[in-house]
Amino acid sequence: MLKRVSMFLVVLLMLSFAAGAAGQEITLRYFMWDPTFADIERELIDEFEKQNPNIKVEMTAMDPSSYWPRISAMATAGELPDVFCMSTGYFEQWAQDGLLMNIQELVDRDLNVDDYFVEVFSENRYPDKQSGDMYAIPYAWVTPVLFYNKDMFDEAGLAYPDDNWTWDDFLAAAQKLTVRSGPRLPAERYGFFWYGRYAHIEPWVYANSGRILNEQKTRIQIDDRAREALQFLSDLTNVHQVSPPYKEIVGISQDNLFPLGQVAMWVDGSWNIENIRRTAGEDFRFGIARVPKGPSAVPGDTTTYFWPDAIAISATTPHKEAAWALVKFLVGEHRPIESYMAGKVPIHKGLAYSKEWLQEDRQPGNMQLILEQGEGVGRTTFTLGWSEWRGYAATGSSGMNGELDKVSNGEQTVDEAIKAITEYGNGVLSRYYPEE
Amino acid sequence: MKYGRVAPWIFLLPTIVGLGLFRVGPIIAAFLVSFTRWNVISAPRWLGLANYSELINSEVFWRVLKNTAVFSLTYVPGVMICGLFLAVLVNNKLRGITFFRGLYYLPVITSTVAIGVVWSWILSPRFGILTRFLHGLGVVNVPSFLGDSRYALLTLVVVYVWKMAGYHMILFLAGLQNIPAVYYEAAKIDGATPWQQLRYVTLPLLSTTTFFIMIIALIQSLQTFDLTFAMTEGGPNNASATLSFFTYVNAFVHFRMGYAASMSFVLFLIVGTLTLVNFWARKYWVSTLD
Repeated sequence: MLKRVSMFLVVLLMLSFAAGAAGQEITLRYFMWDPTFADIERELIDEFEKQNPNIKVEMTAMDPSSYWPRISAMATAGELPDVFCMSTGYFEQWAQDGLLMNIQELVDRDLNVDDYFVEVFSENRYPDKQSGDMYAIPYAWVTPVLFYNKDMFDEAGLAYPDDNWTWDDFLAAAQKLTVRSGPRLPAERYGFFWYGRYAHIEPWVYANSGRILNEQKTRIQIDDRAREALQFLSDLTNVHQVSPPYKEIVGISQDNLFPLGQVAMWVDGSWNIENIRRTAGEDFRFGIARVPKGPSAVPGDTTTYFWPDAIAISATTPHKEAAWALVKFLVGEHRPIESYMAGKVPIHKGLAYSKEWLQEDRQPGNMQLILEQGEGVGRTTFTLGWSEWRGYAATGSSGMNGELDKVSNGEQTVDEAIKAITEYGNGVLSRYYPEE
Repeated sequence: MKYGRVAPWIFLLPTIVGLGLFRVGPIIAAFLVSFTRWNVISAPRWLGLANYSELINSEVFWRVLKNTAVFSLTYVPGVMICGLFLAVLVNNKLRGITFFRGLYYLPVITSTVAIGVVWSWILSPRFGILTRFLHGLGVVNVPSFLGDSRYALLTLVVVYVWKMAGYHMILFLAGLQNIPAVYYEAAKIDGATPWQQLRYVTLPLLSTTTFFIMIIALIQSLQTFDLTFAMTEGGPNNASATLSFFTYVNAFVHFRMGYAASMSFVLFLIVGTLTLVNFWARKYWVSTLD
């Protein structure tokens, strides 16, 4: 009896091996960085597995703060997941170190570029942003917009911002929207607010056709137009007092100031629409507009600052085609709209132009504008060592961010800040780009 | 005896292996890494002393080092005085005293991040309850405790002292309860005032505890990280960045492991030197009961 059972087991085992060999089942490991969307992502992947019965996907979702140390360690150990999320801040380094698979041929072969915001792809090209090959592909992108509080505008009898707004119009509105009880700060409500954050500063620099890096993006070189933008921002705080100094807005998450009605206008990434709705509720009336063009803007220059969230394939994956099939699926038209925070744009135009994404019946009602801006995206300011010279997230208080906070606090002038940013930033950049 | 020679080592083996694998090994590895340029994702490149010379020439590093010194010099006495004060306060046999002991200990076991978030709100210039309170008292220009580069570091010290005082209270309490009551009785008979009892009985007999606490507090102060991370992220403009925070940022945000490792060895040297000095100074001020 025992003999029979063991024979049976052996046969069963052999059969299962055979079945496995015939099916060629492949297991892909996929790492993503947003646990809040893990459930939706898993559903999407279930759908992919249904369509591709030979491919199993093991998904791991982690917060960015643990995600990066983890996959960096995996890269050292040669155990990168087959497919993983890639941010603009680290893309250059990873591409340079040969960890990402060149997917240009596959993109050319399989994707109809007309379906995608193809300008956004440029950020995932290497080494050159125009002519280089793609080493990752965006699944979403964002661009900064000017948020404004409609009720406050109505109350002040102001017309909503439009494409023809100049910086003078902006300043006049900000002055009218600032509410103070006495001559000294803090005001009860400010017309606007900014600090050294990249999503607060770069949009104004771009709106004035300014540049903070040299042509090759290897050194800091803040030109006159960029300087003019920084001076304008500084004056908003230090001269016109329509924007609070940085020290006044600490202790609260900066993205809550606008939804809490502390300020009437705000420039930041479009994905904040989600947080505004969630914090302030559906009754909160707000609109979005282009960041006003500066006095020195080159006529016709519609270049907007932007950044994508991308997906990459490990250079060492043994399952290139399967991994590409997954990536193609993840950036394609199957992705549910709920997997995007409101204001984050799907890379696939079919999704982005859909009613579900545009949500015209909800605030701000004119999300079309973000898509228009997407057609005009171009050069960015991301480099190797970006987080270091720019100052971002956990290092938000250092680098360019920290120096501009000092300007906002009235502790130094724009020119002093530019000098400090250039010196420090070029110290950082010369480590990554030794040859000038 | 053969048995006696081998057996202890067998019992020690788990500890030795653990220590070697998870402590000594990484320390040696980090030491080697400090001579390289290593971004984690690709192979390290030998640099020699370049990381250390970059440290010495970095303006930011010196500022961070100065911040660390200020932090330690204010935190250590601060937390020791508050800890001792609380310990003396709860060192009596009133009804319900355990409740208060527990209460003062509560911040120690509360998550630092939670404490950081709550204190950030308390101190927030636009919404904070402290700001409102001071306004109510008629203070016109309430400073921005976290956003002003003059105060940010000291604010962190205050919050950290608030958090850790309970921990040092427990240690001091243990020390206080070790002091035999006879000394106080003798002092009382000799007519010593409460202050004199504290000065001439309690403090000298507590000195072994004080010594231990000082070393612990010093090491804590040099390793402060999570509160900085939760409250100021080193800002504004690096005004509250301390060595551990700066090391973390370089290692896990910029992925400059070599540079970060060299920094942690500077920290190691500082901690080591101070501890040695402490042990050397010990014989001049620490008295034991026996």
